[in-house]
Amino acid sequence: MLIFRGTDWYKGLSAEEMQQVGDQWMAWFKGLMASGQAVAGNPLEREGKIISGKNGRVVSDGPFAESKETIGGYFLLKVNTLDDAVAIAQQCPGLPYGIRVEVRPVAGECPLVEQLRGEAQLAER
Amino acid sequence: MSTKNEYMLLFVGNEWYNELSHAEIKKIADQAKTWLDGLMERGCAKIGHGLARDGARVAAKTGRVITDGPFAETKEAIGGYLIVEAGSLEEAIAIAKTNPTIPYGTTIEIRPVNRGIEDCPLYRRLQELEQEPATAQA
Repeated sequence: MLIFRGTDWYKGLSAEEMQQVGDQWMAWFKGLMASGQAVAGNPLEREGKIISGKNGRVVSDGPFAESKETIGGYFLLKVNTLDDAVAIAQQCPGLPYGIRVEVRPVAGECPLVEQLRGEAQLAER
Repeated sequence: MSTKNEYMLLFVGNEWYNELSHAEIKKIADQAKTWLDGLMERGCAKIGHGLARDGARVAAKTGRVITDGPFAETKEAIGGYLIVEAGSLEEAIAIAKTNPTIPYGTTIEIRPVNRGIEDCPLYRRLQELEQEPATAQA
C-alpha cells in the first residue's frame, strides 16, 4: 500500500503547475491500473474525524487540511516485492513538491493474530 | 442508485497489545473479528487490510528511500485500514466507535473517500482558481 502524506503541497503552485502535476498523477495511476500493478487508489477528502479514548468518547476534528503529515490518498498495489513497490513510489509526481510516500506491505494475516500465535508458541515451551 | 459513500477508517497506534496477556489479546481479537464479521454481514465493510510492521518511506524532494521506517511501536503508525460504506460521516463515525480495540489505545481516523481520482481536492482547487477573477490572484 502506498500512502501519500502531505496535503499542503500545491498551495504555492500556479494553476498551470497544478494542472500539470494533476495530469501527470492521473496518467501515472492509469498506467499502473492498466498494467495490473495497482488494484485500487483514491484521494481522501480534506475533512474527517479522529476518535480515541475509552469507548471512543473523544471525537476531534483532525488537522486534515494543509499539513505535511496528513494522508492525502492511497494506492493499493499488487507487486512481488517491497523494492518493486518502492520503485513505483519513486515515480510519484508529487515528490518534488513535498509529498512523502509511505510504502507498507499488506499483512498476510492480522498482526494481532500473529502476535497471539507467537505468544501461544512461547507459552508451549 | 446508491446514496452511500465510502469512508476510510485508519487504525492508528501500533503494538498497544504488547502489554496485554495472551488471554486479553485473545479476547480482544475475538471481539474484533466479531465486529468485522458483523460489518461484513451488513454489507458495510468493503475492503481492509492489516499492514505489516515494516516498510519504507520515500522522502519528498530528495526521493531518498528510508527503509527502517519507525512503523512499529509508534503511536502514530498506521496499523491497518478498512473501507466502509455509510450514508454520512456521522454514520461512519458511529461504526468506528463500536470497534472493540479503542479502549485499549487504538485511535481511528475517519476520512471520506473521493469517488474517483478525477474528483480529488487538487482538481477542485484548480477549478476554484479558474473561477476567481484574475484580480484576486494579482
